[in-house]
Amino acid sequence: MTGVNASASLLEGLTVRRVLAVTALCAAAALAVVRLFYNTYWDLLVSALCVGYTSMLLFTIAGNLRQRFLPREAMQVAAVVVGSFLGTLLTAFVKGRSLSEMFSERLSGVMITMGLGIGVGCVVVAGLILREKHARDQARILKAEAERHQLEKSVLEARLALMQAQVEPHFLFNTLANVQHLVETDAAGASRVLESLIRYLRAALPQMRESSTNLGRELDMARAFLEIQQVRMGERLEFAIDVPDALKSRPFPPMMLISLVENAVKHGLDPCCECGSIVIRAREEPGRLRVSVEDTGEGILPKKGGGVGLANIRERLKALYGVSARLVLEENAPHGVVASIEVPA
Amino acid sequence: MSPATQRQGAGSTLAERAGPTAVIADDEPLLRAQLRTRLARAWPELRVVHEMADGRDVDGVIERHAPNLFFLDIHMPGVNGLDAARVIGSRAHVVFVTAYDDYAVEAFERGAIDYVLKPFDESRLALTVSRLKERVGARPAQLDMLVETLAERLAPRATTHLRWIKASVGSNVRLIPVEEVLFFQSDEKYTRVVTCEAESLIRKPIRELLAELDPAKFWQVHRATIVNVDHIASVRRGLKDQAEISLRGHGEILIVSRAFTHLFKQM
Repeated sequence: MTGVNASASLLEGLTVRRVLAVTALCAAAALAVVRLFYNTYWDLLVSALCVGYTSMLLFTIAGNLRQRFLPREAMQVAAVVVGSFLGTLLTAFVKGRSLSEMFSERLSGVMITMGLGIGVGCVVVAGLILREKHARDQARILKAEAERHQLEKSVLEARLALMQAQVEPHFLFNTLANVQHLVETDAAGASRVLESLIRYLRAALPQMRESSTNLGRELDMARAFLEIQQVRMGERLEFAIDVPDALKSRPFPPMMLISLVENAVKHGLDPCCECGSIVIRAREEPGRLRVSVEDTGEGILPKKGGGVGLANIRERLKALYGVSARLVLEENAPHGVVASIEVPA
Repeated sequence: MSPATQRQGAGSTLAERAGPTAVIADDEPLLRAQLRTRLARAWPELRVVHEMADGRDVDGVIERHAPNLFFLDIHMPGVNGLDAARVIGSRAHVVFVTAYDDYAVEAFERGAIDYVLKPFDESRLALTVSRLKERVGARPAQLDMLVETLAERLAPRATTHLRWIKASVGSNVRLIPVEEVLFFQSDEKYTRVVTCEAESLIRKPIRELLAELDPAKFWQVHRATIVNVDHIASVRRGLKDQAEISLRGHGEILIVSRAFTHLFKQM
């Protein structure tokens, strides 16, 4: 730390404006008391300026000191008191008077100078502190407001994203192409796929979506989706659902589970040529419900994209539950991903 | 070779001059079967000599079967239809098969490329077949340019920046998207990865992270610290010539050392 920098930061706020204001104040104070003294106006002005400048200097330093012993305001008031005392001593020095003389025959004048310094100084300091506090309050209010706006915005965005989450046309047309073929070759199979598609669409189309949903309904939708994928991918996809019946009636936010399952197929199993499996599990843990989707697919490569859906789930969890819910992604052994959503039970 | 890629039409050598030959590539077995059935109806002379579940080993297939036509599904795992078309070049006519009307179709139309939409429409398929019949005798067109544009549109270029951090948490490996990371900070021989929710340690040093992260989002602010600028709440002047960063949703204050304070100078 260099001396110049240290004093620069300690004197932060000592502006030309502040010096001019103190000068004006001293001039006015000297003028106000000139009738009460035998001294000339100029003599009084010198006293006032000595006290004023010393107090101003100490006040500024006290405001910039980083210490934890006293509140900043108390330090500033103390600075004015000490400043008035030191300023009075400085007056004696400037006027060439001896200290012993000051504390004997001139004591009353010294006391008046000090008293005036402290009195005027404290009034000024109180004014400044109030103004600063007002500014701080204003800033705090603005900040709180900005945070509230931010939260409102993310809640709104999350809702919008949910509305816009839609059935992928590629998935829909591919499924229909399969049905088209099955109608000619395996009518019962065609009818099964159609049933799954209807169950899936009933949950996935925004117009059909219910505003509140439970884990059981979300699981039905995921199962319907996986059944369709199984027709399409054949042996490449196996899946299992391991969820205790008791948990199926638990409330669970809509479209999150299906999003994880779609990711597991699209980014996990689909790029992989060999066969893979998906397991959906739900467990009750102390105070929370944990729902996970495990896949044995390609896994996440350090530079692979595809986090948009996940970011969306995170945003929505935050909007719904604050910090008490989360989405965690982990590597599955030997390969693949485990994605889990934890919500308060 | 999976069952799906077994040779079809065992007598291909006997019927060499019997008519045009084709190969179908689609990862969905039912859709391969369906295209074969539909083609048999719309173009009885065409012989499907081989089926593939992905675009691998196109060279071997051409060598063995020398087909006139390839029907290539665009979305296939491993080697997709566009990659396969690149390999085929002008050695055979290529017909793309795709499941939905997206900008691929628009590009096909503009480039006068043959394509088939799933689910198949009888009259559309007949139209494509009549066009193919005219072309099949001629030399196959060069598709390179079009395939490049399509590839760019369909599969956005893989980002070159680091997107995921793998961090050990107990016996598990946690996958953290970099957008969630508030800051990285070196801590003796490890690097701390701090998110709103948790903190973990990785072995990759700050210097290596800096080279791999997106420089627009991740700024080095100290010899030991990289911050995600999206999570900065405010920056204020600190002691000496330093600055202090406060973060959104986290209490820790980060020090910006003198060498990096220029990043936050007002513009």
